[in-house]
Amino acid sequence: MMKTWAGRHSIDRLGALLSLVGAVSLVFLPFVVFKANRIVPGDARSLSQILALAAVLALYVILALVASTALFLRSARSRLAAALIGVAAVTLTLGAAGDALTPLGNQVVRVSPGTGFWIVLICLGLMATDAITRMRPGPGIRVLFLLVFAASAAAALASGFFDHLSVMREYEVNASRFTREARQHVFLALGSVTAAVLFAVPIGILCHRVPRLRAGTLGTLNLIQTIPSIALFGILMAPLGALAAAAPFLSDIGIRGIGTAPAVLALFLYSLLPVVANTMVGLGRVSPATVDAARGMGLTSWQVLTDIELILAFPVILTGIRIVLVQNIGLATVAALIGAGGLGVFVFQGINQTAIDLVLLGALPIVALGFSCAVLLDALVEAIQRSAR
Amino acid sequence: MSEILKSLVVSSLLFIGASIPVHGAVVVSSKLSSESVMIGQMIRLLLNAAGIQTVDRTTLGATYVVRKALLAGEIDIYVEYTGNAGFFFNRPSDPAWKDLRKGYELGSKLDYAANRIIWLTPANASNAWALAVRKDVARANHLQTMSDFGRWVSGGGRVVLACSAEFANAGTLRSLEKTYGFTLRSDQLIVLAGGETSATIAAAAAQTNGTNTAMVYGTDGNVLAANLQILEDDLHAEPVYAPVPMVREIALKANPQIAQIVKPLMESFTRDTLLELNARVQINGESINSVAEDYLKSKGLLK
Repeated sequence: MMKTWAGRHSIDRLGALLSLVGAVSLVFLPFVVFKANRIVPGDARSLSQILALAAVLALYVILALVASTALFLRSARSRLAAALIGVAAVTLTLGAAGDALTPLGNQVVRVSPGTGFWIVLICLGLMATDAITRMRPGPGIRVLFLLVFAASAAAALASGFFDHLSVMREYEVNASRFTREARQHVFLALGSVTAAVLFAVPIGILCHRVPRLRAGTLGTLNLIQTIPSIALFGILMAPLGALAAAAPFLSDIGIRGIGTAPAVLALFLYSLLPVVANTMVGLGRVSPATVDAARGMGLTSWQVLTDIELILAFPVILTGIRIVLVQNIGLATVAALIGAGGLGVFVFQGINQTAIDLVLLGALPIVALGFSCAVLLDALVEAIQRSAR
Repeated sequence: MSEILKSLVVSSLLFIGASIPVHGAVVVSSKLSSESVMIGQMIRLLLNAAGIQTVDRTTLGATYVVRKALLAGEIDIYVEYTGNAGFFFNRPSDPAWKDLRKGYELGSKLDYAANRIIWLTPANASNAWALAVRKDVARANHLQTMSDFGRWVSGGGRVVLACSAEFANAGTLRSLEKTYGFTLRSDQLIVLAGGETSATIAAAAAQTNGTNTAMVYGTDGNVLAANLQILEDDLHAEPVYAPVPMVREIALKANPQIAQIVKPLMESFTRDTLLELNARVQINGESINSVAEDYLKSKGLLK
């Protein structure tokens, strides 16, 4: 009897885990944290203290329905829809709690999401990503999903509904600098990766053609990779500073001991190994028979490289580029310490002022940026592999 | 493929070109701490009001980065602390740093001779390590200065101090004990590993394990939020860290008015005004620029 019941209504294991964790944290962990000002430790507030009973009940009913979908429904589309409805419900509740806890016109109190909120959000996010994986969407659809998520997040933030939450308070105070530092952050990451690709791909090709060079090159690049980032940023300041002092025209075009130049150079050095290694691996995978056939057809060595080998190796090389782009988006944070700006400025200023909200203003966009780049480049790699087949 | 390459190269060059400095403008910089940024912004606003063009390079980096940038001529002016000159010139134990005037005179002499850096007017306030006690304890035991504190502790006052390992072990605490004639037993000390003043202040505010005294920085706005009273270092046991704008001689020669513009601003600062301004930024989370502008207007320095 039990067996047939379980057979007909099989419980989804991931759904069970997520529902359990979500429910426990919703009940036992604080959903919002209220701080009398920016730096004091906060007091946990439960939802029933803040919002009307009807609103709290509505949230619980919605989340219960989401949980039962996660437990019993198999359709990936319904699971995704339920997870997204859940995300909307908890974030809207958080926004409402922010409004309710902030006295009219008060600029000093801070309302932040509590651990309960974050864990429920993570559970819903895992449910959504799991559903998307089950749907096996093509690269185009995945990029579309990303765009829709980004657009709805941007619209939600622009709507003003979340303006009473602590991170948005920090944004409001730093709005003009935020745009500037975000642009600088993207420039540091993209600029260094671009420069690295221009150097690393030829190095990879050379190592592929001349096996003698491999061990030495990879050994050197490995060594660079082991230097801690803050140390490498520091090490580069001295030679670049001396260079700028010796040749003032360099300093006029921005090659100086502090600022963008040492930051881009350090990120550039960190980017070399993955791209060189992937270029070699990609070229190594091209079958010798294909290369022989191309030679037999009368293609020159250069033509074999550009028309055959590089084309076939491109997805692997692109995977290397994806690794370094995501890596550099994270590493560029440290660049703020040597005057290169970027979102790390908020992280370090926040640490300096013990204002965790300001740290988040820098850290959350960095995470979002890294995640988006990973999704975009993964989709690109897959699209190229599909078209090659 | 080569089209993509070409556009990538061009765009990288454009990015580098975008960071070329504006010639003739005064490059105003600062360290990362909110106090340095705030005074830097005040200086920038005053220079702009006097018709001097400026470039905003505040929040440039840690002390050694900003200092290096000044020496390399990449920035023109920023606010440093007098006591740090002891480390710049590798003579940290010179007694001159313990006195604002003597430290200022020694530091500005050394810096001008070695680097052609000119120290403008210092503020009469010190952001050095200090001890702060809970206001209720201070009121009950009439504690205003470190001398009062020494008398209170050696007379059996029930003190529990939260401080960093560096403060406890590297000689700072010992020199305070020697100067003010008290000794703290190990059960009167709570040594916190990280050494963040935010943690020591939080311990005193929440009376964790009976803590009623905290190691703080002299102009840290958090002190106000936690209701602590800073004890005056009346016998000068500690080096003075007074904010002082430092400017390159070349930049000052190009715009000699800078010295006169900055003077009334720096003279307007006291420990209490800086504490209050820092608290507005650190605790209330007000924007540094609006606090800077407000202050200049309230003092009549800016119209």
